[in-house]
Amino acid sequence: MTSRRSFLAGMLATGLAPSATWADAGAPRWLSAAGLPDGGFALCGIGADMTLRFRIPLPARGHAAAAHPERPEAVAFARRPGTFAAVIDCAAGREAAMLSAPEGRHFYGHGAFSLDGRWLYTTENDFAAARGVIGIWDADHGYARVGEFASGGTGPHEIRRIPGTDTLVVANGGIETHPASGRTKLNIAVMQPNLSYIDGGIVTETDRLAPEMHKGSIRHIDISHSGEVAFGLQWQGDEDGPALVGLHRRGAPLRLCSAPEANLRAMRNYAGSVAFAANQRHVAVTSPRGGLVQIYDAGEARYLRGETIADACGVASCRGGLLVASGTGDLWRVAVGMARRAEHAALMWDNHLVAI
Amino acid sequence: MMRMIPLAFALLLPIPAVAGDMAGISRDAVEQHIMPRYAVLDDTSQALAKAASQTCDVAAPALTDAYDAAFDAWIAASHLRFGPSEAGDRAFALAFWPDTRGITPRTLRTLIADADPVAASAEAYADVSIAARGFYALEMMLYDAEIQALGTPEYRCALMQVMAADIANLASAIRADWQGGYAEKLAQPGADGPYRGEAEASQELFKALTYGLEFTSDTRLGRPLGTFDQPRPKRAEAWQSGRSLRNVALSLASLGDLAAILAQGDPGLQTRLQDAFSTALAEAKTLDDPVFAGVAMPASRIRVEALQQSIDSVRDIVRDDLGPSLGVASGFNAMDGD
Repeated sequence: MTSRRSFLAGMLATGLAPSATWADAGAPRWLSAAGLPDGGFALCGIGADMTLRFRIPLPARGHAAAAHPERPEAVAFARRPGTFAAVIDCAAGREAAMLSAPEGRHFYGHGAFSLDGRWLYTTENDFAAARGVIGIWDADHGYARVGEFASGGTGPHEIRRIPGTDTLVVANGGIETHPASGRTKLNIAVMQPNLSYIDGGIVTETDRLAPEMHKGSIRHIDISHSGEVAFGLQWQGDEDGPALVGLHRRGAPLRLCSAPEANLRAMRNYAGSVAFAANQRHVAVTSPRGGLVQIYDAGEARYLRGETIADACGVASCRGGLLVASGTGDLWRVAVGMARRAEHAALMWDNHLVAI
Repeated sequence: MMRMIPLAFALLLPIPAVAGDMAGISRDAVEQHIMPRYAVLDDTSQALAKAASQTCDVAAPALTDAYDAAFDAWIAASHLRFGPSEAGDRAFALAFWPDTRGITPRTLRTLIADADPVAASAEAYADVSIAARGFYALEMMLYDAEIQALGTPEYRCALMQVMAADIANLASAIRADWQGGYAEKLAQPGADGPYRGEAEASQELFKALTYGLEFTSDTRLGRPLGTFDQPRPKRAEAWQSGRSLRNVALSLASLGDLAAILAQGDPGLQTRLQDAFSTALAEAKTLDDPVFAGVAMPASRIRVEALQQSIDSVRDIVRDDLGPSLGVASGFNAMDGD
């Protein structure tokens, strides 16, 4: 007898089941890649109660994921410089398709769907030319590769869509790498990171920090409901950057958030992930190297407070505050003065928590 | 499992046990490893500037020997990328490599075509693109036939001489900053300095070791290796001056010296590290392929790959054993770097 789930899965595979929703996947609220104790890797669905809703194996280490806006479908991306992206049917709890980056490209670990869910966009490295590209995949036709466009810089990392629009925002980290030399950074002396806005495949706005701050790699972004972009920086070389978090509204200059020297320093020049809190007024930034999550006030662009969480990296908004995931397997629901913790001792949560 | 607990209490983490004795590591590294290397770099760079000032013959042994001596000294210090070497991008100006976009030859061609007067003094030359400064730009002046066919001999000579003088200025500025206070800050870390304690100082040194090993394996060897189907021998470091393998061996010897200091609190670990370094150095010494031309042929390629693997064995010990012994954060995400 065909179960409802496998029936839906079959329908999904043919793209004929518009009624299948995220509820069919056990209603996860977040996705996160994870490392497993046996050395394997997985993509996990996490419920609002911080319990595990599904766990699907990945062929190698993942990084971030993109959730389809309607269908219970997610794409988990390989960690840089990996070349796979696994399309996961979250209702059936299985891999629906495996995408491979085209010849001469590798993924950076992030992607985003178009507003209507038809197109998947992936940040990629055209490594022969050291040029960042955005790959376009047709989600309605088996994720066929249909083209690409320039990301507006070198080393595009996180890509997000401004809510309610089809404008993409890309953090071009500025760092050139080549798979033949692993993850070694090849151009720190001359790197030029930027934040690029892309409409219809064309870069329509590029924002940069002051020239003397060119070693501040803009790597991670989150976007508020109203379209404000929060970005996290990773300072390269021996640079002690003046800030780790910045804010931006299209058409305006970039704003760096201020923080007391000691708090800034405790983050070890490294922002692993950024997220707006549920109230949209606070921005959280994690530093696994500092073992910290710090909260900033977006209106005043200044530091508010921090919490110690070992190997903290993934962060996303949740009801009442923020959810933080750590490489030690913990999930922390952080609100003022209190935190609730769920331990997943068999999982090492990887870099990013992706809200569905 | 889920609990409601006050955050401040819940997050009291155990302090990781630190094996061995960290006190003294940074002092020994400064006195025995860093200061001698920057002193030799300064001395040999002054000698290079002097040799360059006395000849326009780029094939003169007095010049190329001086160039090799100074370049050797740079390679031995090239992993020490913090503090004085990074101020004003001095280390990048000494060593702009890899040059993935060919900026060095392009900038040199423009300077020569314009007979740019910026070559008149080392002080003025400090303002040109870092791609046209340092050991790799000078290598093109000394060894690149295409560059040597451009412009006038007089201008090329002036350019070669000013590059050497600029290298000497950079090397003496780095040494002066180390002597003028930075050595003390690293050797005796304290609340007011760039390193607040011995742990932070040791971690800076650990990072230097890790970076040096990564650069030698992934870049010095990884770039010429390319892929099996597409080897890239002309991407080897300093192949025109025949120094590619030499640089790998010099860097390994220097990194082994630093590793011994960092592991001094744990004699067993120190021995294992030295054995792994010796294996890698022995691979390098028996490899009869000075510029890694062999990467294009399977039989000789395998030897270069073996050298790379032996360096990666050192990296495994450094990451899995030396890092924890120095209290370096080794978390799943902390080590990721994305």
